[in-house]
Amino acid sequence: MAEKINNQEENTVPRFAVLQLSGCAGCEVSLLNAHEWTEQFKLTYMPLVSSAYAVPEVDILLISGGVRTDEDTYHLKNAVKNAKKVVAVGTCAISGGVANLGNRDEVRQLFLSRQDRLEVPRMLPRSRPVDDLVSIDLYLPGCPPTPELFMAALTNPAGYPASMIVCQECGRKKLKEPKPDHFLGFQKGKVDPEICLINQGYACIGTSTRGGCRAPCTRAGHPCVGCRGPSNALIEKDSQAWLEAIQKVFHGMTNIADEELKEALLSPQLALFLFQFSDYAGGNKPPRPKEKVL
Amino acid sequence: MTTLTFPLSRIEGHARVEIEVQNGKVISTRFKATEMRGFDIFVQGVPAEQMPVIVPRICGVCSTAHHVASVKALEDAYGVTPPPLASKIRSLLLLGQLLQNQATSLFIFTMPDRVGVNSLFEMDTVPEDKAITFEIAQRALKIRELGTDLITLAGGQFIHPVRAVVGGVNAGIPAEQAERMAARLEQVLPMACDLFDAYWELTIRMKDRIGSWGDDQPAYYITSTGKVKPDFNSHEIRVMNPAGECCEIFSPSSFREVLEFEESEYSYAGKTSYKGGVIRANSLARANLTAHMGTKVANGYLHRLRIEFGTPAHPIMLFELARGIELVYAIERAAQLLEQPLDKEDTDVPYTPRDGEGYGLVEAPRGPLIHHYAIEKGKIAKAEFIIPTVHNMLSIERALKVAAERYIQGDTVNMELERAVGRVVRAFDPCIACATH
Repeated sequence: MAEKINNQEENTVPRFAVLQLSGCAGCEVSLLNAHEWTEQFKLTYMPLVSSAYAVPEVDILLISGGVRTDEDTYHLKNAVKNAKKVVAVGTCAISGGVANLGNRDEVRQLFLSRQDRLEVPRMLPRSRPVDDLVSIDLYLPGCPPTPELFMAALTNPAGYPASMIVCQECGRKKLKEPKPDHFLGFQKGKVDPEICLINQGYACIGTSTRGGCRAPCTRAGHPCVGCRGPSNALIEKDSQAWLEAIQKVFHGMTNIADEELKEALLSPQLALFLFQFSDYAGGNKPPRPKEKVL
Repeated sequence: MTTLTFPLSRIEGHARVEIEVQNGKVISTRFKATEMRGFDIFVQGVPAEQMPVIVPRICGVCSTAHHVASVKALEDAYGVTPPPLASKIRSLLLLGQLLQNQATSLFIFTMPDRVGVNSLFEMDTVPEDKAITFEIAQRALKIRELGTDLITLAGGQFIHPVRAVVGGVNAGIPAEQAERMAARLEQVLPMACDLFDAYWELTIRMKDRIGSWGDDQPAYYITSTGKVKPDFNSHEIRVMNPAGECCEIFSPSSFREVLEFEESEYSYAGKTSYKGGVIRANSLARANLTAHMGTKVANGYLHRLRIEFGTPAHPIMLFELARGIELVYAIERAAQLLEQPLDKEDTDVPYTPRDGEGYGLVEAPRGPLIHHYAIEKGKIAKAEFIIPTVHNMLSIERALKVAAERYIQGDTVNMELERAVGRVVRAFDPCIACATH
């Protein structure tokens, strides 16, 4: 958009496009907040903000949302043909996100019964991450990724200064005491503004979740639900290793009994966590290499 | 018979319009939502207390409205009343949402129609007025961002807020942060007014070009905002008949008795009607059903709208002007709220979860939003999301028919129809992610 662009040779300005599959547009809203890109890039396709109906040739293609319908599949396969670099953006594109709750067997049938309509895109049997269908150059996890992360993905992903885990960006104090005996769950009780949420009995998994978001949720007093996925120390291991790492933290910092801990981590008690990352947690694909994840 | 298909852009979500024509006569106009994720289905079995964090993901544009509606539904089920400070902070959250949404709808979604470009990011390609349009785009993005920052301040996270909790909010807003935000809002107010003035002027020019303010028949209007002045953290829903009389007041728990719901055979979004009549929700419904804006500058604009178009006002392009009035209102009202102490009183009250049913209502930017949950053994047994865009579905299709009949005559289709379809749909600012959830 910037005047600069018009004064430069058209072909020196990197072009990018945004393909939105089945999602909530939260990633797009975050991207709009990162409006510094308007001075460095030309946006050529993003139906949310522009009346353009096909993905032209671009340097960077951002893909948000999961693959939920046959139309998603079609758009995805076509769009990547014209892109030099493909970035999977947000938790839905990378591991299904919250819509993955619909993949549970007990609700899947109910779900498919809805598509009995005339000429609407067909639902796939399951919501799928984009790399089930196309090859991805960079993963940008987060629900949604912050504007800062978007700028890094567009300009210099390798140089982005991110901490290993959310805890390092949170700034709450971890104490030896108190050690809670039970979980408080997500939203019960008063939140102390200074002290680690685990000390207060919240099921926060910031201890093993990828840093880089600057911990807005935990700083606001809400436990981390792990939307950025596992940290580099765990991302190339299987889901069991990740769950064990979380359990170990709670063993050390709380007196919560094993049984309660397991139930919290493996049942829908942590539904967001468990299903957002079910792809990391037991999918049949090899783990994503950490150098490809921002 | 011929079917004309128009893909839609510059709206939230995936949808298209199909118009069937036979012998030059418009047979039908269909608004087709083409996505669905099934939130009402897949939240079944989820612990009820997690809903306020899950449901913002229904929509990244309307996330705040879902967050607050969800907390209110749980409070209704548990029999909890939040303290006054919590209600104030929730109101601020909803104002941040209003500011962000109206800025997005006005400038990113509909301004390009007025300037004749594909997107706000191409505003500088307009040969005449180049400097002016470039300036508009830069300022529009700034105002939008301020809405997001207000959501962050009051809601914790910037898109999917976390701060409203059952029983209240999890923290107050420290004085210095509140002051800083109030100062920014006051600083932005004149800029927002300039932009809205420019938008109003461009809208008149567009009206002159197409020869209409959007000539559809009057409809019923539905909103939950306040009767005397706006209130987005709302409690009851009102309906106005096409003649301008308030004909129904109801609580969210009786929505099934008052409104008729119909599944669609050709779209993932359903439709609502009132006693068989077409309803309209969103900004124009609020402008018709609220006496004043309650803030000085916004009131001036509302006065101008009423002088020019009367009460109730019906032309569909007025949805957009009403949205601009609310943009100004959101800035003024948020600044007022931030001038009061927001960290001195209790932020929440204790509560005990229990099974049962709960209804949560807020006035979202697109109209009254209801969350209804049935809770069994602490888990969601049933969830319903009553979405404002669904209330507008019949009115969108009817307005599309008016436009189609205007531009399809005899053997010719005037390709202005393509632009008209976009204009009509965007006037209602539908949200497809919400409508289909």
